[in-house]
Amino acid sequence: MKLITLDSVVPEIFAKRKDLRSDIWLAPVTFERGKRYLVEAASGSGKSSLCSFLYGQRGDYRGRISFDGDDISRFGRGRWCDVRRRELSMLFQELRLFPELTAWENVQIKNRIENTQSDSTIESWFEALGIADKRKARVALMSYGQQQRVALMRALCQPFDFLLLDEPVSHLDEENGRLMCDIILQEASRRGAGIISTSIGRHLDMEYDKVLSL
Amino acid sequence: MNLIWKLLRRHISVGQLAGFFLADLVGTVIVLCGIQIYSDMAPMLSGSDGLLGNDYIVISKPVKQLGSLMGRSAAHFSESDIDDLKAQPFARNVGEFRSSQYGVYLGLPGVFATDMFFESVPDRFIDVTTDEWRFDLSKRDIPIILPRNYLNLYNFGFAQTKGLPQLSEGVSQSISFDIELSGSGRTEHFKGHVAGFSDRLNTVLVPESFMEWANDRFAPSKSALASRLIVEVENPADESIAAYLQQRGYEVENNAADNSKIGFLLKIVVSVVMAIGLIISILAIYILTLSIYLLLQKNTDKLENLSLLGYSARRIAAPYSRLTVTLNVAIMLLAISAVYFVREAYMTRVAATLGGASQTGFLPTIIAGALLTAVVVTFDSIVIRRKINSIASKR
Repeated sequence: MKLITLDSVVPEIFAKRKDLRSDIWLAPVTFERGKRYLVEAASGSGKSSLCSFLYGQRGDYRGRISFDGDDISRFGRGRWCDVRRRELSMLFQELRLFPELTAWENVQIKNRIENTQSDSTIESWFEALGIADKRKARVALMSYGQQQRVALMRALCQPFDFLLLDEPVSHLDEENGRLMCDIILQEASRRGAGIISTSIGRHLDMEYDKVLSL
Repeated sequence: MNLIWKLLRRHISVGQLAGFFLADLVGTVIVLCGIQIYSDMAPMLSGSDGLLGNDYIVISKPVKQLGSLMGRSAAHFSESDIDDLKAQPFARNVGEFRSSQYGVYLGLPGVFATDMFFESVPDRFIDVTTDEWRFDLSKRDIPIILPRNYLNLYNFGFAQTKGLPQLSEGVSQSISFDIELSGSGRTEHFKGHVAGFSDRLNTVLVPESFMEWANDRFAPSKSALASRLIVEVENPADESIAAYLQQRGYEVENNAADNSKIGFLLKIVVSVVMAIGLIISILAIYILTLSIYLLLQKNTDKLENLSLLGYSARRIAAPYSRLTVTLNVAIMLLAISAVYFVREAYMTRVAATLGGASQTGFLPTIIAGALLTAVVVTFDSIVIRRKINSIASKR
């Protein structure tokens, strides 16, 4: 997938609002593979809605979203399954980890679908992100910041053309944010993938090709 | 361990599954027992060498006293009666009994002499195979077939009281009788001998060719309507035989239609038993379906997350499908072995009491069991897939 295009897209609930001033809603937007985008948003401006629309979780919008020209509202279950396995990876704001599995298992449950990363790569990430000792700990017992790092590792365990990051560093200190940024950039550039990151305040410290305000 | 299974086995209720397992096992055993017992017992009722086997039934119309006194032939079968019977699906062949329309006088010189009658049926209905079953006019010797119990009557009743010698079958066949036929103003003398003894036909039989010749010669003006019919049936246990005879008001010799009635009763009893088993099984499957539904409902979040991670509905359903397949196959194997032991138990009794082993074997149970499992597993898979799809596609 090379292009994600939004054409006059607006969430249903905003459709009647007259005072909508946004770089994304109701505007023509194109996300290109290989480029980095930051979507800055205030609370309640529909940031999570945007991610849900792009990831096929929700369809309550007007306008047209297309991947390489294909209208995603026409995608069936099978197509979304393929998109989520190989084209689009998402770091959910609410993380969506399995609390009863360990950190390691949470990463592996994704990695095993396409067998993308070797065990040693994942181990090195655990080391780099400073949670190597938590590998066998159940996620339910970990702090939110630690869980965020596990969720990131999981998001990197698949082939992707775009990486969607919904508030990736909301609970991380600067040092950990920087460590995370290194890994993301490394993985994204290795694949030539695009990055779409959202933020309501703190954001990943990297050079963005474009900053849009929602 | 499989991570998906580790995730999804949570909330599995062992109690519910155990309840399903026991209930379905009981229901399945009952259904399969019904099928096996029916397939073991039905051949004993049909088939000529079966327990009650009798492929031939002899039917007549009831003799009404008044009609007989008035000389009407109400007890005869008309052409349309016979055609109607021939058209019945259970009837393979229908033969008419023809009776002598002339006087018959039979004697053994110096021993006894008596008025007699003859009847004939088409040769293919006769259960005696002998070369002598031909009437040769030039020899003037009439072969006769007697019911086997006539010989017993003579040996154990008549001969003993009269002080006559008892006769074996062989000896009795070598005795030559004098026969006098009279009618239409003429009287002729013949010889006669016993050509064999029949278990099937309870009358004094002569070859049909002789009967035609003799009726022509001694009673040319009388028409010989069939007084009795012999019917070769496809399956004596066919319940439609009893129903037809009942409806037409025909009488049956030797209770030959009992097989049909027993077959009908067997079917009813087995149907009731199988229906009970099926109801139990269906309720059990309902429990399983509800239990899995509940399980899926409790695991909704996990299923949704797996779907968002890129797991297909098929892969998410796999652990649940495996669970139902394992349960159902285990139930079927247990049920089939249970039926096997039940069958062993009743077949030894049946063999000891009635003789003869079943030719059908154990195959019906295995086929029915496999079919039942396939149906249940398919049903469960569809239910699981639909539920998972409805969770996964929730936006």
